[in-house]
Amino acid sequence: MADLLDGIVMAEQRFHGEGYQEGLAEGSHAGMAEGRRHGALHGARMGSEIGCYLGFALTWHCLLQKCTDPKNSKKLRALDSLIGMIQKFPYEDPTYDKLQEDLEKIRGKFKQVCSMLNIQSDFRLGNERSSLTF
Amino acid sequence: MSWVQVAVSQSSEDIFDEDADEMYLLQKEWNSTMKKRLKEGYRDGIEAGKELALQTGFNQGYRHGAELMITCGQFKGTLNALLSWCHFNGHDSALSMINNLLDVVGKHEDDVLKYLNSTEEQPHLGHILDSVQDMDLNHTAGTEYREVKDGKHNDCGSSSGENICRNSGEVGSLQSECSKANLCTDPEKSTLAWVKMQTVWLVEQLGLSLDVLHHVQQLEH
Repeated sequence: MADLLDGIVMAEQRFHGEGYQEGLAEGSHAGMAEGRRHGALHGARMGSEIGCYLGFALTWHCLLQKCTDPKNSKKLRALDSLIGMIQKFPYEDPTYDKLQEDLEKIRGKFKQVCSMLNIQSDFRLGNERSSLTF
Repeated sequence: MSWVQVAVSQSSEDIFDEDADEMYLLQKEWNSTMKKRLKEGYRDGIEAGKELALQTGFNQGYRHGAELMITCGQFKGTLNALLSWCHFNGHDSALSMINNLLDVVGKHEDDVLKYLNSTEEQPHLGHILDSVQDMDLNHTAGTEYREVKDGKHNDCGSSSGENICRNSGEVGSLQSECSKANLCTDPEKSTLAWVKMQTVWLVEQLGLSLDVLHHVQQLEH
């Protein structure tokens, strides 16, 4: 009788295990896809924002090279610092533990640079999509 | 003694039939219990597998999305810098062109987001769990996903191709150098290639320094 019960329990475990393995493969597939989709959207947002700051800073850095205004050196220093921060920032690595912290610092620096350049960081008010606010 | 034989044979037949019924019922119960275990296991497995893979998938997708969009962002930032510079320096005639280019980049960004959202799209876990109820575990779901996915991918590809043609139509006079057919062959890259070409042209027209030109030229698309 005990053997019979053991047999039943074992069979139940075996069937559960078979189902589990199949489910595990299916679930991994679904989880991977769902995770990838969410990750891609988050990463895209980050890439867009960081890229925008970088393009903006590099372009202004070039534009200011030609001017001889003494105030420019201060602006250039701020731009250098922003560019340096961005280039050191592993924006594409979601496992970087200071991702959010560093992003906030870069945002702050960007705002500072904008005010030095006398540009409102959200100056394209008419077009939400292309404005520099994130 | 014939009645005894009859009685015995009848009773043994009866007994036999009862056994058969009982065996049948037991068999049925056994089968349904094991089927239940199989389904329970399947459901547990799906949840465990999903949990295991979500983070890995997220990390992979994040990297992919970030690397795909950084260039878009760089064009946006570059154009915004040029916009503010033109604004300060009285090049008002260039403002509308820059705004147009920013719109094209913005639309392209939306298309990339839509593409990211649709290519990775899969049936929701709930749908899979629901379908477990009435499936016989001889599932072809995997291949169906792939077909659906490919279908969506193609749809997305063709629609973004159209969008890009439409985009470039809006800035019509500026795109004469750029063949339309070329724009549509690789929708991911050609929009930005076109924006880059327009930006280079603009930088030259504005007589900006070579530094600016080089910066725009090294933007990858």
